[in-house]
Amino acid sequence: MSLASALDKLATFRTNNTRASQETFKNASVIMKTARKLGDDGWAVLEQLLLASVDIGRLDVADQCLRQLSDRFPDSPRVDVLTGIRMEATEPPDVVLQYYEQLLDADSANAAVWKRKISVLRRIGKIEKAVEELSQLLDTFYNDVDGWLELADIYTTCNQYTQALQALSHALLLAPQNPFYVLQFAETAYTAGDLPLALKTFLVFVDMWERDLDSPKGKPPVGVAVRAWMGIKLCSRRLMLSSSPSVSNTPVPKTLNLIEELATERVLAAYSSKGTASRGKAAEGKDVVISWIGAR
Amino acid sequence: MSQYSVSALAYFKILFHAAKHPHSSVNGVLLGKVERSGKINIIDAIPLLHHWTSLSPMMEIGLDLAGQHAQSAGLDLVGYYQACERIDDTSLAPVGEKIAENLRDGFKNAIALVIDGEKLGSGDVALVPYLPQGTVWRPCSGETTAFSTGSNFQLTSPDLPRRALAYVSEGRHESFGDFDDHLEDVTIDWLRNIACIPSDI
Repeated sequence: MSLASALDKLATFRTNNTRASQETFKNASVIMKTARKLGDDGWAVLEQLLLASVDIGRLDVADQCLRQLSDRFPDSPRVDVLTGIRMEATEPPDVVLQYYEQLLDADSANAAVWKRKISVLRRIGKIEKAVEELSQLLDTFYNDVDGWLELADIYTTCNQYTQALQALSHALLLAPQNPFYVLQFAETAYTAGDLPLALKTFLVFVDMWERDLDSPKGKPPVGVAVRAWMGIKLCSRRLMLSSSPSVSNTPVPKTLNLIEELATERVLAAYSSKGTASRGKAAEGKDVVISWIGAR
Repeated sequence: MSQYSVSALAYFKILFHAAKHPHSSVNGVLLGKVERSGKINIIDAIPLLHHWTSLSPMMEIGLDLAGQHAQSAGLDLVGYYQACERIDDTSLAPVGEKIAENLRDGFKNAIALVIDGEKLGSGDVALVPYLPQGTVWRPCSGETTAFSTGSNFQLTSPDLPRRALAYVSEGRHESFGDFDDHLEDVTIDWLRNIACIPSDI
């Protein structure tokens, strides 16, 4: 593994927020051994290595990183958060919460500390308190997309799908260009029992996903579009069997039959040999998909 | 109470699935057959989700497809498994309970297995069996600890946890794929995962 490729990989992980801790640990350890002076990038790598080490349980390495970072940046709020994360690995939750409280007393605008506190509350099962604090945080920092997604996730795991949809719609407003939030919204709407809304949102996803492709209609769907077409098939089939109430008052499209037919065609195309040609392999489990498509 | 036995194939697949996604909850279904004695053999497992395990549309489709696959292999869907997001969490509720309950409609002795993250690295059996008591699913607490001698829950061989651990440290789980993966790339073999399965089982 060369130094340049390791640095490149770590920079990509940082940009994409990838939590590939094993790999991060491997790459960052190489760098730390070979290069002492990396300039500002070095500190970012050190922070990355610290988080990965906590994640994979190499607390000895984490402590080394933390020591170097706090020597270089005393009183940095960012290092304060890292100290907290390191504490979370071994200290009892109430000790960590107390530490976060102290930091927040000194600076109530430190959103990163606030979010750590909320995640500890959630971990120890104080869900109501976590929701309350997260809602307050989002009142203050409305633009925090991750915060809205976390709120949606909490509501979903508590079976409160309507609230989850509300939280997700804020994430959609803030990041309308991200198709994955649309997909999550569609699947949440389905889980909430609002089939017309789910169908509509799956279709919006496909529209966004195919916007950047050349002549998508002539080609089999690829990637996560297959998931959306299966969702469309599921929703349209159920809506054809029986009407379903929509809490959001979303109308059922008049062309439901055509949508269902199109979804059938699209899913089958994805599993055809042409659909997987670019992968150089055949689709797996095609027979069960075909009988699912034809069933009922 | 029925007896349950977990095969090497099922045990390895469940552990590979959990090991592949250490930060997320994962879930899947158990395939098996009832012996003449009434003992339930859990023969295989099919991994379903790791993205949004609390959302139902892909779960419904995955269950449907897995059910058909089981049928063509002459097996039943005999249970559900999941690993929680946090290592110290071995609870089934609320989503897992709902799915396991639905499986009971098709198989009355359906079981749920939750992965015990704390035991994953120890070489002990890292599974907590759940069975329904009335309408609530509870971890089985009999006179004997699950998977110990004399318990109603057994592995087909006592060395499975140790072997699973060795396979994971070799990185065998890295190419393991579930239904979520398959929905992004339909060439991923989520029903069988042949590439990850040791050739001697």
